[in-house]
Amino acid sequence: MRFSYLVAAAVIVVVATGSAVTIFRGNPVPEDVIASLDGDPDRGAYVARLAGCIACHTNESGGGELLAGGPPLKTPFGTFYGPNITPDPIAGLGRWSINDFARALRHGISPAGKPYYPAFPYTSYSKFTDQDIADLWAALNTVPDVDKPSTSHELGFPFNQRWALRGWQNLFFDSETFRDDPNRSELWNRGKYIVTGPAHCGACHTPRNPLGASDAERALHGAGGLPGDERSPPITTAKLLEKGWTERGLAFGLRFGTKPDGDVLGGSMGEVIRDGTSWLSDEDLRAIAHYLLNNKDTE
Amino acid sequence: MHNFKLKVLAPVGALIIVASTSLVLAHGGATGIVKERMDLMASVGKSMKTITEMFQGDKPFDPEAVRKAATFIGNHGGEQMTRLFPEGSIEGPSESLPAIWQDWEGFSKLADDLTQYAGALAEAADNPRGPGMGSGMGQGRQGGTGASPMGRRNPMMGKSADGMPMNDPAALAQMSPDAAFVRVTRTCSACHTQFRKKQ
Repeated sequence: MRFSYLVAAAVIVVVATGSAVTIFRGNPVPEDVIASLDGDPDRGAYVARLAGCIACHTNESGGGELLAGGPPLKTPFGTFYGPNITPDPIAGLGRWSINDFARALRHGISPAGKPYYPAFPYTSYSKFTDQDIADLWAALNTVPDVDKPSTSHELGFPFNQRWALRGWQNLFFDSETFRDDPNRSELWNRGKYIVTGPAHCGACHTPRNPLGASDAERALHGAGGLPGDERSPPITTAKLLEKGWTERGLAFGLRFGTKPDGDVLGGSMGEVIRDGTSWLSDEDLRAIAHYLLNNKDTE
Repeated sequence: MHNFKLKVLAPVGALIIVASTSLVLAHGGATGIVKERMDLMASVGKSMKTITEMFQGDKPFDPEAVRKAATFIGNHGGEQMTRLFPEGSIEGPSESLPAIWQDWEGFSKLADDLTQYAGALAEAADNPRGPGMGSGMGQGRQGGTGASPMGRRNPMMGKSADGMPMNDPAALAQMSPDAAFVRVTRTCSACHTQFRKKQ
């Protein structure tokens, strides 16, 4: 009992400290430049595959409508349900502006100014380019409205204290624009953008601290405690090479699910491949594989 | 408060239990039917490796070797596979999930698909190769087929890897070996996604 009080006290102190800073920092300002871009809904549908939007916002196995709300995502903090992101004005995003959308993705803040739980991977989505956001927004607006809201998150104390997320964001989250490394090839930079941005590979492959923040020092080192008691393998360059992956094999595997040893990728990665990576262009798959197998950041 | 204690301590407890049992199991070794099917999966995997290396472009494409490996896989799908899964046989190091028996129909269907598609691959081995990705399926599967780019669910989610809804083994046998190969890998992956323990 004493232990749990201690943990709860630590959580409260940590978030309160963080929150105090936020009050002075104020809300992030949305980028108006996005509103001036033309969004291409076809490209946006592709970006939705790249970013895994559909898997978390569509309860496919439960027979749910496209993007009308996700299946339960069980985490150590409670159970999350991806919200309805159809264009319905009440249950979905119908009343949002594109700037609201950009702010949600990049800063993890709702139009009403509420912070989102990091189950929504805005820590990666902050790297989205303006054009990708505009395209994604255009695509979302082509989805049929569903007027039923998604299920509410089921969280116990202290994780149901949403105000505390302001502190969490302050401590663990910097909205970071993606910048190409001029010393690297276009292919490598594209791969890094996909892996660390839209595809948010680190959400499952990077371990988190007890408060759910990614451990940047051990990026892509593999993690336990994932939904469904799953464990993700490390996907650092060294580990991938050790397991026999080549750039060609990895690009191939992300499309077909094959592994170097003749086994196939199952579990959640099977779903990621089925709903996400198998839809990507050859070039993007090559970029991902090239980056992952030449990733000095993980050494 | 009590709830919170449970939340923090339960996973730790669970972890200890899981860790200690898997230690015991790892030393237990597979026996009987579980061993038989694990051996079967290993040899199917070996054939898959042979085929994958050729489709991937790591080794020269040898239709005879593809046919041989695909025939082996096809001969070990269907009932040859499902008979190795008597109800509840998840003892020892087995990675099978109880979902197999909760959805026996779905499980058997995938086992049958494996035989059908591997058979189509064996027949298609001599046909001209398909386009793209050093042998793969080309330009990805851009979502959207029609007025709405995000699509209705089915067109966007239910389509086959190469954008073709066609899954008829007889027709597949007439197409590129790549078209049959992708259905074999997808069948393996679908089964291992639903019915094998997540690792």
